[in-house]
Amino acid sequence: MARTLSDPGGGAREQNRLLLVATRRSFTIIVYALLIALAFSMIFPYLWMLANSFKSRTDFFTNPYSVIPMPPTLSTYYDALTIGRMGVYLGNSILYAAAVLIVQLLIDSLAAYSFARVDFPGREALFLAVLATLMLPGSVTLIPTFLIAHGLGLTNTFTGVVLPGFAGAFGIFLLRQFFLNIPRELEDAARIDGSGFFGTYWRIMLPLAKPAMVTLGVFIFLNEWSSFVWPLIILSDWKKYPVTVGIALFRDVNQINWPAVFAGSTIVSFPIVILFVLAQEYIIGGISLSGLKG
Amino acid sequence: MTTLAQPSQPVQSRASRQRELWRRFRKTWPGYLFISPAGLLITVFSYIAIIFSLYISFHQYDIISEARPFEGLENYTRALSDKLVRISFRNTFIYVIVIVPSITIISLLLAVLGNQVRRGRALFRTVFFIPTITPIVVTSMLWVWLYEPTGGINRLLEMINIEGPNWLFNPATALPAIMIMTIWGAVGYYMIIFLAGLAEIPEVFYEAAKVDGAGRWHTFWNITIPLLRNSLIFAFVTLTIAAFQVFTQVFIMTQGGPMNSTQTVQMVVYHYAFQRFEMGYASAISWLLFGVIFFFSALQLKLFISRELY
Repeated sequence: MARTLSDPGGGAREQNRLLLVATRRSFTIIVYALLIALAFSMIFPYLWMLANSFKSRTDFFTNPYSVIPMPPTLSTYYDALTIGRMGVYLGNSILYAAAVLIVQLLIDSLAAYSFARVDFPGREALFLAVLATLMLPGSVTLIPTFLIAHGLGLTNTFTGVVLPGFAGAFGIFLLRQFFLNIPRELEDAARIDGSGFFGTYWRIMLPLAKPAMVTLGVFIFLNEWSSFVWPLIILSDWKKYPVTVGIALFRDVNQINWPAVFAGSTIVSFPIVILFVLAQEYIIGGISLSGLKG
Repeated sequence: MTTLAQPSQPVQSRASRQRELWRRFRKTWPGYLFISPAGLLITVFSYIAIIFSLYISFHQYDIISEARPFEGLENYTRALSDKLVRISFRNTFIYVIVIVPSITIISLLLAVLGNQVRRGRALFRTVFFIPTITPIVVTSMLWVWLYEPTGGINRLLEMINIEGPNWLFNPATALPAIMIMTIWGAVGYYMIIFLAGLAEIPEVFYEAAKVDGAGRWHTFWNITIPLLRNSLIFAFVTLTIAAFQVFTQVFIMTQGGPMNSTQTVQMVVYHYAFQRFEMGYASAISWLLFGVIFFFSALQLKLFISRELY
């Protein structure tokens, strides 16, 4: 129909259309090329890390930038876990992350439920006081937190590492938002059946809040797993170091044992990759949420 | 009878209000129990901590000696004339001024461009996101290796016939090297923020723009940017606050050197507090940093919010 209506100027119009398609296509190609180049820059350091962690010492020093280890060996891992003490550090990291994860989820969700549902006097003011701590830069609280922990006799102890992480204002905020959106009828029914405050929280609210708890849990784990400054300051005995501080120690000496660094870095990154594959939607969702709220 | 409060009689009204409060308290007291673990921790590690920090910033305070004399503003005036502090503030300012716009612009472009491609969108998102969730200690170590004189970066530069510097050992390039690595590591995170913001923009706006014959550039400036305002403010403010406190990358990659060229405020705070145990003085420096952060956050929020054009 449109074609039959085309006038003598149709040729020019057709040319314009072709030009438009061409520019659009070249634009798409440029975009793809750019994105692919950047994606490579993001992924390559990790490929090297992985490849080098499986290289023998001689292979690493002759071909540090090859992506395929010839022949692949596990000796670097063995070195990192034994001489490099990564085995000890890894165990500590798992312990710290697990402790903070479980306790903070419990403490945050209890407080969040209370702030969302229990109408106790002074609730709004107290919630604001919790939120306000989000504004505090960690830079100012670092020294007094250390001095308080020191005063409590917690320097160089497991408790000292995890205690300040047992409650989080962000977690309380996130879970409270979630609890507020759960219909009240469900709790009323439980209340009529004779559930107390704690029973309602434990049996009704917690199971319902699973998506929010998983999101928060992933963030708490990632945070604690990557945590560096606090354990660096509070600990003085290498037997208690987490992996992050352990890897930094490889750098501390003048001669860097690169193969051990790569093996150690791969070991540290492994749980994160697994977590990311399993919980990608929760992670992306959680970050998106924090941005939209801002 | 008790429920009939009479507004004309303030005394009785106050008494009944108190009774009401008491009734509410008796019904809701488990609420306090529930918030008490979190409340205790937040009180100790945030509120007491910050008051304590302010207190010791006016004292000569180390953890070893018992004598902790009051010094007034001594620590603050000393900080203002301390050459190391001055250098660290200058470096940190340069760092913030480069990092914050760079990360915002690059991650915004990544989000907008990533939204244009049809195939592989999820894959790009995943790949750009990997550096964000890797511990900063690990990415810093990887980049120390890449920045070696004959490392990956310089090999890349060699391909286009540029002789790369000894990045981390040259005072002129050490701070830029740390900035490049930080930008590389952070854009994925803010890309996610912007993608979420883009998803919130109703498709009709773009259709309307297309009908009006608006070009790509025009659409970007007049629709995308204004409607991404919340995400942009969030990115800008949180980035600024974080960038002012940069520590781990510097600690791992250069330890503040060479020749103090990468010394940042947080590094100096760490140095005085945990290597020389001058806790009071270090706290004073951290309060100066807090003041700077507070000033810039407030300024940014004021600028952004007063521009209520859309």
